[in-house]
Amino acid sequence: MKKRLLLVDDEIEICEFLKSFFEDRDFQVMTAYSGVQALAKVESFNPHVVLLDIQMPEMDGLTALRKIKEKHPKTKVIMVTAVETQDKIEEAMRAGADNYITKPLSLEYLEKDVQEKIDSLAGV
Amino acid sequence: MTASSKDPRNKKFDYQEALRDVARSMVRLRKPDRLLKMITRFIDRQFGLHHTTILVHEPSRKRYVFVNSKGIRRVPVGLVKFDADHPLIRWFLMGRRKMPFGQDFLLLSDVKKMQNKAQFRLAANSRASELTQIQKTMEMLKVELVVPGYFKHDLVGILMLGGKFSGRFFTDQEILFFQTLANDCSMAIKTAEYNNRLTEKNRELEKRLAEIEKLRHKEQRTYYEIIRSLAEEVEAKSPTVFGHVSEVEKLGMMTARELGLDLSGPGKDILSAALLLHDVGKIGIPDQILTKPGQLTDEEWKVMRTHVEKGAKILEPLSDFKKVKEIIMAHHERFDGTGYPKGLKAAEIPIEARVVSVVDSFHAIVSGRCYREGRPIEAAFRELEHCSGTQFDPVVVEAFIRVIRKEIAKGKIDVPAAQS
Repeated sequence: MKKRLLLVDDEIEICEFLKSFFEDRDFQVMTAYSGVQALAKVESFNPHVVLLDIQMPEMDGLTALRKIKEKHPKTKVIMVTAVETQDKIEEAMRAGADNYITKPLSLEYLEKDVQEKIDSLAGV
Repeated sequence: MTASSKDPRNKKFDYQEALRDVARSMVRLRKPDRLLKMITRFIDRQFGLHHTTILVHEPSRKRYVFVNSKGIRRVPVGLVKFDADHPLIRWFLMGRRKMPFGQDFLLLSDVKKMQNKAQFRLAANSRASELTQIQKTMEMLKVELVVPGYFKHDLVGILMLGGKFSGRFFTDQEILFFQTLANDCSMAIKTAEYNNRLTEKNRELEKRLAEIEKLRHKEQRTYYEIIRSLAEEVEAKSPTVFGHVSEVEKLGMMTARELGLDLSGPGKDILSAALLLHDVGKIGIPDQILTKPGQLTDEEWKVMRTHVEKGAKILEPLSDFKKVKEIIMAHHERFDGTGYPKGLKAAEIPIEARVVSVVDSFHAIVSGRCYREGRPIEAAFRELEHCSGTQFDPVVVEAFIRVIRKEIAKGKIDVPAAQS
């Protein structure tokens, strides 16, 4: 079974870069550019892990997080924040986020964290 | 002739010229981020690489951030960082001389080769595991060549290059060019950082100076108020001259305007203060002399005349009032040079002091003094004209009489003499 990862960021360039990064690491990757798109992809793709940017137009990351966790409590969600949105981390963790990561990020740490989340799912 | 210069691709490219271009741009561009953008674009176009990426040290955060990237495998700006303890950063932080094989760049092909060489493991000691991680990082980012940029001993930035579209290897000449470029950029970044710090420090200094200046001004203002009340006290000693100083100030300012003196800037305050405070030194004159009815003896006059220096002395601590002090010091000088304390002559006497002298004398004539009754205005004019050229500056006397006559005609003036 391939590891499924959903990347959500309104910056297409970031999605594309991380997509090829994780595809090289044997992930099956889908991308979404807004919270609304993310919800639809969670339904159709059923990812193990969602990498969710906190600040997006249409529906922000926090709202998307709550909706994802409501319907798919098992899906692991890692929030991605920029410096200016760091105050929202606590809110995200309370809303059920499994971890957060701050931009600029360390690719080694990102890879390790996503893998850990997959492993924790396999253990269940 | 090196092998690389025989390559038809490289023949067209003049490395020296390119570096000169960069040097020229560095002088023109004050913001290093624009320089870096220019350089990534330049490498991307010139060499046909999968990507060109620059990392720059953020000293305050102890990390290296991907600031610029071009090409199809580019790294989005601001997304990725290397912390200072990242194996790749540690490798370059070791410094040039300690680097295995004395080279301070890393080619992915070399790294792979090194991994397999027992000889290298000996040279690198505990760095073998680091090299494994470095290889992983380079593969992760699709990087074929990593070139560090140093300024003095600081690792300022790192240039990361993807492979060539042509599949060829980087030549020695190309690598040397990238090294020179990376070090030139490092110098530009450090210089800009230094300049920014300097500008900021300057701004801070200026702010502090302004604060000090404000405080000093406030202090001087307080002192000035004290002196003014002293001047009023002098006046209060002889009730007959009550209102003298404010009257002198009013007439003096009018005369100055008539003379066309520059009263736009601080000149106005200076003259006003001089007119108000010209006799403040009298506070130091004994009452029996100051308020003595009738003529003063020679001895008493000697004492009386010291009020000029005493006044100047009182104003000494006010650095803003240096000019005021000069005027007060000279307000008993005479136009023909027979006045006191210095015997200054004509233009040697500040024009403001010449004004004070005329106005003060006029007012003394028309208002009652303790030693005699006041006289009519016309008599005062005659007295001024009589002493014009000896005691007074004729130009000032003329302007003074002209302005007073105008004021009387307008019914605006109310000198005590008008009643007698």
